[in-house]
Amino acid sequence: MAMSIEEVEAAIIAKATKSPKPQLYIKDFYECDTERKPRDIKKIANALVTKGKMMFWSSGSTTMYALPERIKNEENAEGIN
Amino acid sequence: MAKHATPLLDELEKGPWPSFVTDMKRQAETHPECWDILGQLELSYKDKITHWKHGGIVGVFGYGGGIVGRYSDVPKKFPGVEHFHTVRIAQPSGLYYSTKNLRALMDLWDKYGSGMTNMHGSTGDMIFLGTRTENLEPLFWDLTHDLDQDLGGSGSNLRTPSCCLGESRCEWSCYDTQDVCYHLTMHYQDEIHRPAFPYKFKFKFSGCPNDCVAAIARSDFALLGTWKDDIRINQAAVKEYVAGNYPSNGGAHAGGDWGKFDIKKEVINLCPTGCMWMEGDELKIDNAECNRCMHCINVMPRALKPGKEKGATVCVGAKAPILDGAQFATMVIPFIEVSKENEYENLIDVIEQIWDWWMEVGKNRERVGETMQRVGLPTFLRVMEIDAMPQHVKEPRSNPYVFWKEEEVEGGWERDVQAFRRKHAA
Ligand code: HEM
Ligand code: SF4
Ligand code: SF4
Repeated sequence: MAMSIEEVEAAIIAKATKSPKPQLYIKDFYECDTERKPRDIKKIANALVTKGKMMFWSSGSTTMYALPERIKNEENAEGIN
Repeated sequence: MAKHATPLLDELEKGPWPSFVTDMKRQAETHPECWDILGQLELSYKDKITHWKHGGIVGVFGYGGGIVGRYSDVPKKFPGVEHFHTVRIAQPSGLYYSTKNLRALMDLWDKYGSGMTNMHGSTGDMIFLGTRTENLEPLFWDLTHDLDQDLGGSGSNLRTPSCCLGESRCEWSCYDTQDVCYHLTMHYQDEIHRPAFPYKFKFKFSGCPNDCVAAIARSDFALLGTWKDDIRINQAAVKEYVAGNYPSNGGAHAGGDWGKFDIKKEVINLCPTGCMWMEGDELKIDNAECNRCMHCINVMPRALKPGKEKGATVCVGAKAPILDGAQFATMVIPFIEVSKENEYENLIDVIEQIWDWWMEVGKNRERVGETMQRVGLPTFLRVMEIDAMPQHVKEPRSNPYVFWKEEEVEGGWERDVQAFRRKHAA
């Protein structure tokens, strides 16, 4: 059975909640639904950001995803170049 | 009056060349935060370490790129650069600004930021250097609503596509670079404004192999104009060059005394493939050997022109170092049609074939060129469904083994080991 968009969204949020580091790469979410193409997973993750359920975290050269409640403010976000 | 003593930076004002230190001191008269950039840079020179912190969560709503967060790690000392975010402004195709537009952009930046710019960044955008988080939304509002302009890409987004000025001014352009650049910019708005990939991805479009935007060195997907048929020769104009009546290189090197124009020395002997010769006073080219280097055309533009059957070469995978050092893009498709008629559908197919594979196979923070290097060109060509051809060969093989795929071997990999051992009993 193919997963619905809502199920993929829930899997993405579950993954971002459990991960040791608050910031995740888009690739970390591919496994949330291996039947979808990476570009479709990307669209679902970006839509979660638009809905305010996730947020972007950027190093300038790489953009990562995080749950807003796991990143209080930029001061304690761990920097990578 | 200077707010911080900067004896080390002041050294950079000596000498005949323009100095960014002088420029920043002048800017600091109206934007006092610029004193703190100078102060912090002086401290970095002393400490021999950067005092910028990278990364963070700044941006404008709905966009996952275009703003690069920068903070000072010594904000108490230099409050003016506590926040000093960089804003990427998408540049017009071919960098055609009107003075009115430039003034409006500068007014906007004087209002919301330090007024310092970088024209242009390596990605191609105009870069606004230095503002605070709270200024980002108002700046973005004015930029998009009053100036009808947009932010560029940053992070793991498709970066702002850029192109040479192409057919607008250059007779060598083999396709309409500005149109392709604009079309793909509009087509891939989502990829430009929101992260899309394991890492950055850049398009650059040059109208001919002179490659004025350095696409082959700077872009993951480089489209370089080229032609299929013969270089067009105007023999009468060749004679004029030989007689010294037309200046070589369009007069670009007229400043020095190079002596009389010598077609043998300056053109024929410099042809990298040795495919040119004179027959009497006629110039001949063996076009099958010509690699479209542009040298002869650059030297004698009135006598030589690219052919008529025009298109482009696709090169993939340039990058500047992070993991393995800098590399040029690899030639993947020697000739592809570039046509407005099909809205560049064939280019889009190639691009998305690369993306679908790279998003799957590429590691985090690995550029497509690095992924290609890791799997090897033969594997990449198979992914792209392109047959290997002589143009793909860079050098004679250095690996003596031939690797067969199972389907190429009769009977595949399966065999009866017991039967084999019985045949070769010890
Ligand atoms: C039990 C007996 C033998 C053993 C264990 C043996 C083992 C080897 C090994 C390990 C190699 C190197 C293979 C490589 O390039 O990776 C080699 C190469 C070679 N052996 Fe033997 N060998 C044996 C008998 C013989 C005999 C009887 C002959 C000739 C009549 C012979 C002729 C050669 C030759 C010409 C090469 C070089 C092959 C090449 O350059 O590709 N070998 N052998
Ligand atoms: S890359 Fe070629 S076509 Fe484009 S501006 Fe330069 S010389 Fe002209
Ligand atoms: S374009 Fe370059 S390779 Fe071709 S004929 Fe001219 S000099 Fe030779």
